[in-house]
Formats: sequence, C-alpha cells, structure tokens
Amino acid sequence: MRAFFPGERPLSELTLSSLKKSFAGTAVIKGVDLDVTQGEFVVFVGPSGCGKSTLLRMIAGLEEVTSGEIVIAGKTVNDLPPVKRGIAMVFQSYALYPHMSVYENIAFPLRVEKLPEDQVRTRVSEAARVLQLESRLQQRPGTLSGGQRQRVAIGRAIVREPKIFLFDEPLSNLDAALRADMRIELTRLHKKLGATMIYVTHDQVEALTMADKIVVLNAGQIEQVGSPLDLYHRPANRFVAGFIGNPKMNFLQGTCTAADGAGITVDLGPLGLITLPRAGSPALVGQRLEVGIRPEHLSLDAPGGFRLTIRPGIIERLGIHTVAYAPLPNGDTFVALFDGDPPVADDTDIEVSVDPALCHLFDEAGLAVGLAA
Amino acid sequence: MSSGRPMIDRYRWYEYVAIYVGMFLFLGFVLSPFIEGFLVSLKPLTHLFSSPYRFWPEDGSFDAYFTMWEHVPLLGRYIFNSLLISSLATIAVLILVVPAAYAFARFEFPGSGPLLGAFLAVNMFSGAVLLIPLYRLMRSMGLLNTYFAMIVPGVAFLIPTAIWLLRTYLLRIPRELDEAAWVDGAGRLYILRRIVLPIAAPGILVVALATFIGAYAQQFIFALTFNSKSEFMPLAVGLFAFFGKERVVWNELMAASFVGIAPVMIGFIFLQRYLVAGLTAGAVKQ
Repeated sequence: MRAFFPGERPLSELTLSSLKKSFAGTAVIKGVDLDVTQGEFVVFVGPSGCGKSTLLRMIAGLEEVTSGEIVIAGKTVNDLPPVKRGIAMVFQSYALYPHMSVYENIAFPLRVEKLPEDQVRTRVSEAARVLQLESRLQQRPGTLSGGQRQRVAIGRAIVREPKIFLFDEPLSNLDAALRADMRIELTRLHKKLGATMIYVTHDQVEALTMADKIVVLNAGQIEQVGSPLDLYHRPANRFVAGFIGNPKMNFLQGTCTAADGAGITVDLGPLGLITLPRAGSPALVGQRLEVGIRPEHLSLDAPGGFRLTIRPGIIERLGIHTVAYAPLPNGDTFVALFDGDPPVADDTDIEVSVDPALCHLFDEAGLAVGLAA
Repeated sequence: MSSGRPMIDRYRWYEYVAIYVGMFLFLGFVLSPFIEGFLVSLKPLTHLFSSPYRFWPEDGSFDAYFTMWEHVPLLGRYIFNSLLISSLATIAVLILVVPAAYAFARFEFPGSGPLLGAFLAVNMFSGAVLLIPLYRLMRSMGLLNTYFAMIVPGVAFLIPTAIWLLRTYLLRIPRELDEAAWVDGAGRLYILRRIVLPIAAPGILVVALATFIGAYAQQFIFALTFNSKSEFMPLAVGLFAFFGKERVVWNELMAASFVGIAPVMIGFIFLQRYLVAGLTAGAVKQ
C-alpha cells in the first residue's frame, strides 16, 4: 500500500493519551499512553485480566472511554462509532454469520455501505484471492476448518480497507500446529498489506514472533513497550522479565553487600556470592535485590562464571532441549535449559554456571538495576 | 454382543421390559380419552346408552362425520374461527415479542430484571381471575361480540411466556456477532433483521408453535365470556350446539372435535421436527 521514503518521518496512526476506563467504579485501564506508527504490527500482551482486550475494544469503539483520548490519523475518535474510526476488527470467535455464505460474510460490510454489486464483487474476489478462499466462496462457514474460518474473518476486515486492523486473540481457538501456520500467514499478510495492525494475545510466543512492537500490560497499565528482543534482553522490570521468555526467568533473592563503579555484589545466602559487572551506586548496599537468571543462559561445562550446584527432581527431554527442574533451599523451583541431550539424571547433583554479565538485577520495587549484556 | 447401540444406551432384558411397560402405562393414560372419543364417534347414538356398555363398536360407521355438518351448519365456520383467532393471536404475539425479546437479551436497562420477573408473575394468574374486570372493560369500550375481544386478552396472556422462551434462545446467539456487525457499520435494526432474525428462525418457530397451542387452548374461556354471536364462535364453544334440549349428540360431538383439531394436528406432525430441533439447538457445539 503506502511506502515510506528514507528520511520521511513515519506518520503516527494511532495515539492513546492517558486513557482510562472503569467499570462500575473499578479501574480496569489506569492511564495508558501509546503511540503507534503507520504500518506497525503492535502486539498487546499480558496475563488474563490485565485489560488488553478492554484496551483493544476501546480503540475499536466497542467500549466507552472513561477519560483520556484516542486519536486515529490525527482525529480524536472518542465518540465516533467503529465504522467512522477507520478500523476493522477480527474477533476471537471469528463471529462469522452462520446463515450466510463465505461470499456474503466477506461482503457484509460492503452491503451495509450499500455499495453497488459490481464493486462488491471486485473487492470480495480480491480479498478471496489474497486469502486463498476463492474455491470456498459459496460454502457456509459451518463447513470450513478453523483456519479457513479465521481467513474469512480476516477477509471481512480486509474489504473495508481500514487504516487499522484490530485482532482480539484470533488464534486462541486453533490447535498448536495450525496456530504456528496462521502466525506465519498473518505476518505475510501484514507485509503484503503494509497496514497498521494491533494484535491482542496472552501468548508470548505470538507476541515475540509477529510483533514490530510489543506492549506488555499488567493490571491495566503498560509495563514496557519495545521490540521483541528489547523486551527479552533488556526487561525494564521484574514483571516483564518474568513474563517474556519460556521457561520463565529464575529469580534469586539476596542482599547487596558491595556496589561501586565496577560491579555489584549480591549475597544469595546458601547459594553464595555473585558479582555482576555493572556500575552501581553505593546506596544499594544493604538493600534486598533479586538476581534474574534465564534458564537458557545456564551451562553445564563452561569454566568460570557464577557456579551453582543443583539437584534436578524432574527432567524434560525435548530432543532439541533438555529442561531440568530443581528445588532451591527456599522452596522455589530453579529451572535450567540445556541444548541437546546432556548427561543429566534425576536426583543427581550437577554443577551449572552462568556468566554474571548476562544476569539481570532488580531492586525492591522490581525495577531493573543496570542492564544485562 | 454388538447391537450397534452406544454403551450408554444398552440395558438388560428386564430393564427393557420395565421401560416398555412404563411407556405403555403412561401413553395409555394419556391417549385413552382420545381412543374412547374416537370409538364413540363411530358408534350409533343408541348404542352409547345401551347396557351393558360395549367398548368396541360393533356396527361402527363414519356416519356421524357426515351428519354433523347437517345438524350444526355453522361447524365449518367454528373450525375456521378457531384457526383464525389462534393465527391472529400468534402473529400479534410475534410482532410484539421479537423486538421485546431482543431488547431483553441484549440491552441492559434499569428495571429489566424486575420486568422479567413481573412477566413470570403474570403467568401465575389464570385468565379466569381477570374475566370479570376484562368483561367490564370490553363492555364499556363496546368491544363485546367481536374477534378483537377474543384475541387481545389471549395475546396479553401469551406474551410473557413467549418473551421468556425467545429471550433464552437469543441469549445463545453470541454477542460477538452483534459486535462484529456493529464494527462493520450496521445499526441495531439492521443487525436484528439481517443477523439475529435469520439465526433465531428456529427459535421463533418454536415460539410461534407454543403460542399457537396456547391461543388454541385458551380461546374457550374468552370466547365463552366475551362473545355470544354464533358466527364468531370458535370450535370449543361451538361444540355446545350438539347439546340438544333432551340429549347430547355425543357421537357427532366427538366427530366434530376430531375434525376440528385435525388441521392443527397435521400441521404439528410436519413441524414437530423443527420444534425438537429448536428446543435443543445450541445444546451441543456444532
């Protein structure tokens, strides 16, 4: 569709400013600020109940805004109905009309617009071509597979030629194999159309694989906005660190014993001392800190680094990876992920090591202290 | 042993015996009045009062089915009136109930809960309790002896059940369908007409059938009270014409009853699969 020339500042397609929403006095969205540029694929991700679907429905015009502003293409749309906002939405259940053929389902928005028949035909067949639904146009949605229904729902969004596509957990009804296929198909579609897409999911894999920009939401607030690798390598706080990455990051509690321009030392109690090579202010000394270690950063045979002896209780062998779960003295479970199929066994001590430069550090408020390498 | 039945439907022989005995007992109880009525319609009148009474007609014939038209010339009109009153009541109920049920299923408005409760409470009154006030109302409005007087009170008493039935059906249509259409620019009435009504068609048919049965059953009491003109009488009241000064022409009375309900019964035999489909629709995810 629209391409950008180098140097041209990309247009802001959607702006949310101090957006709030309460249901019967309970705040669900507690002040969200966000800027989405034209052509971006933005994913809202967060645990269930974090308000991500509500936020999407507010942008769509299905939920009223309590306070704040939604601006689409330079125009405040708070009080406009969905159709005047230039958005199209794909619902979790696909929301196909069971009594209409695939053709009529895709044509529905055009019928509402009372477009002449020949234009309807052109636009529906164009959408059907893009989505490879040409041979299914006369069928009823009930006879289609999950993936095909999903494509019909997307077709109904495409024919409107909206500025922004909104997706509400569109893959959650599909089985794992089909979900992986549809992820690729959606990314391909985004490339082909070049349209702005906002996508809600609770699945971090979908977020990491498809997004240009991930918005991590928690309890009605944005925890962090960034590219997938930004969030993975440089989580701004403990919540994002724990949410992005699978298996989850390990958190070890300790007390800061020394901090200067060269490193921060944390006493992890029975697990020993770890010194992270990053600048820290002496004010940290005496504070309770948490060291975050990603399971995939642990290794069995590397020399040096921070060393830790664990006794795995459960071992999962996936062929490409091996995951070991070991209890810690404080009752938590420590997870380690190794490549391939290393010689580890249940209830046998192993020594693992991690490069302290790769570790994350969080203060008492859960905010990141310095950055991991 | 493979009987082709699913495991959950397999029983021992004595269980089958108990099931069938139970079925025959129940059906016999329900159907015996109909059987007796039908046999009576076949007997000559003189046999009906003979002693000892014989259940099985010996010189049975369908004579009563022909003579009844001569004895009560308005019989055809009565049957027509019955169908007319029920049909008009059904149409009126549907026109009022479809939008109302949609509103109750989709909108949250103050008082919707108490209002639904009040509708349920109306069902606790039988029409008979209100007959005298209704009679006075009809008389002061000059509506006695009209079709209107027999249809409108019936409609009023049929609406609550119909709203409850249809609302339940509409609640099963996912709200996301409405929302998707709204996002695509459709208004409420467009959504009702193009999305909700076609999907709810089986449910609407169920409501129509239930309403028709209700109207057919309850027209007797309103017709008896609010109408005294023979040409407006429905069958249930018209049957009194077979009550002579000295005797009741039972065989023709029974024959007329069967002929009167025949059109409705034939209709139901054809529509009952929709009835069952409509009542169970959505019970299983398609």
